[in-house]
Amino acid sequence: MISSAASSATPSVPLDTAPACPLRVGTSGYAYPEWSEAGFYPPGTPAREMLALYARQFSVTELNYTWYQMPRAAAMERMLPKVPADFGFAAKLTRTMTHEIDPHGWRGKAVQFRDGIAPLMQAGRLLSVLIQLPPTFERNAANRRYLAHLLDALAGLPLAVEFRHRTWALAPVFDELQRRRVTLVAVDAPDLPYLFPKLDVVTNPDLFYVRFHGRNARGWRSGNMQKQFDYLYSSNELQQWSRTIIPKMAARAHSGIAFFNNHVRAQAPRNANMLMTELCTRSSGRAFH
Amino acid sequence: MDRNIIHINVADFAVAVERRLDRRLAGRPVIIAPEGAARAVVYDMSEEAYQAGVRKGMPLARAGRLCRDLVIRPPQPARYEQAMADLLRHALPYSPRIEPGDRDGHLFVDVTGTSRLFGPAVDVARRLHSQAWKELGLDPIWSLAANKLIAKVASRLVKPQGDCIVPPGGEAAFLAPLPVWLVPGIEGPDLIRLRELNLTRVHQVVGLGAARLAVALGRPAAEIDAALRGIDTSPVLAVDQAAPRVALNHTFGTDVHALPVMESRLHTLVATAGRRLRQQGRVARRLAVAADYSDGRRCVRQVRLEPPTANDLALFPAARRALHLAVSRRTRVRHLRLICDRLVFPPAQLPLFAEEGQTVLRQKRLIAAMDKIRDRFGGQAVRMGSAWTG
Repeated sequence: MISSAASSATPSVPLDTAPACPLRVGTSGYAYPEWSEAGFYPPGTPAREMLALYARQFSVTELNYTWYQMPRAAAMERMLPKVPADFGFAAKLTRTMTHEIDPHGWRGKAVQFRDGIAPLMQAGRLLSVLIQLPPTFERNAANRRYLAHLLDALAGLPLAVEFRHRTWALAPVFDELQRRRVTLVAVDAPDLPYLFPKLDVVTNPDLFYVRFHGRNARGWRSGNMQKQFDYLYSSNELQQWSRTIIPKMAARAHSGIAFFNNHVRAQAPRNANMLMTELCTRSSGRAFH
Repeated sequence: MDRNIIHINVADFAVAVERRLDRRLAGRPVIIAPEGAARAVVYDMSEEAYQAGVRKGMPLARAGRLCRDLVIRPPQPARYEQAMADLLRHALPYSPRIEPGDRDGHLFVDVTGTSRLFGPAVDVARRLHSQAWKELGLDPIWSLAANKLIAKVASRLVKPQGDCIVPPGGEAAFLAPLPVWLVPGIEGPDLIRLRELNLTRVHQVVGLGAARLAVALGRPAAEIDAALRGIDTSPVLAVDQAAPRVALNHTFGTDVHALPVMESRLHTLVATAGRRLRQQGRVARRLAVAADYSDGRRCVRQVRLEPPTANDLALFPAARRALHLAVSRRTRVRHLRLICDRLVFPPAQLPLFAEEGQTVLRQKRLIAAMDKIRDRFGGQAVRMGSAWTG
């Protein structure tokens, strides 16, 4: 459970392999009522108080409600005073531009998104905008064209793209992302044949981005998030990332962010803490700062 | 714990149901109205017809003048009921607390505390929407908020299409910039009064405070003030726990305009309603009469029952008053509906004055005797004389 003792928490983890590359670790979303039952938040914590409590323990979060609803500038402004000055945000791009694309209206939505997210951008707290594309978004002429137009429309924002369909795992795709300085999101997900593979490619020297979805292969296609993201990483599984993949990526980027999406029963914050401990142990005994 | 209330709202429900059955209606201005009826009025209309100026309750002839390429479909209540049942069926797995509207495409679903089973409330809302779209061909608005009032306002805000999430604690900030008429529970005369005072936005009215608002409206305004601050503690009723009420209908064989005939039928309805209330051991605090005219228009008027009662002799004068308020047009009436609601247990307070007490006692005895006869010889065995009129 979060306590006041945790308030001295950790803006970032310096990586020993790349001292100039701090890595922030957090969770995908923070306002889960079940995290109170799981002991992460005090019992009965109202949703409006969760961000402040979360920020005592983590230095970054991924806003996933912006996927469901277009961000509103006023709401973003209200959020900022609740977190420390160095707290960072990643914001998921709204579903009307990724999963439920309106071919005629998406450009207007892109403008709305920019306006909504502007307070975070202006305050220098927006680390990335996550463009998470659905498993059905395969690489074909129409989708390539759409993605190019979308990246153009959002140019200027710190963008990251997460593919779910494996047809995008091609060198020309990575080259184009590199040319645009758009981050390719590295994912840890169940080892299923149709999913985008686990890669350590860095396409943007400014930022690398890792998302841990859990490895629940059975629940992945259940259509129920409680089954899909019900997974607790073991220490060994995380060590593969902390010892090999993350240091390799960190060597090619100035900074990084990693989020755990296995939110069920507050496994995400548990794993996030485990990863931070792992990385901290490896950073030549240097403490969090 | 914050509550999570989902509101599902199929805009222009009757039209949406018809369009599902006839794809040729897509994108065209559609009106639901009893076309053959004399002086028929609009029952529901599509967004295209609305944009052309057509409104509910508008005479059909006028609607036709406003929108030349109208498609008119007759009302099909059974279809709407089936569509409501389908919507409800899809929501049932997610919560025992679901409150459907009356064949109007509205559904409140309380998913508080279900996140461990089904995931975040927002995801449940989205799933309900996509199920309605994929399996029923309906594209409802969905909203998520901490209470029914805010969820309803959120739906109204994005109508005719879209979705809206109001985070818990953000109710007042959400309402503040909105026009007052978007908030349910504020009646027409109050809106007119507020407009006269140049108060059109919620934050302007909230700024007055309840006391000054009461002065402005000329009546107690605590409920309105609470609504404008986004406060609503009303629960979402359990799906099998419809608000307790007694509702009875009578359709005339031939449409009538003679009030005595209507009163006679109303008396029969009151006698049946009173008996049902007494069987339940409840009394009603409100009585309403709905009159359906032959041109499709409906007029509902209600009166408060003070003290609450289940006695025919007290119910009938109230029902008669409501009928006279409801039947104010020179058009024949096809159907009457009597509703006794806000049911409570009978008050324990006895009448203060002896004479009044004796009257009440005599009435009670009379009704008890009539109930006894009906129990023994059937519901039609004994009736009040006034029920025979006409």
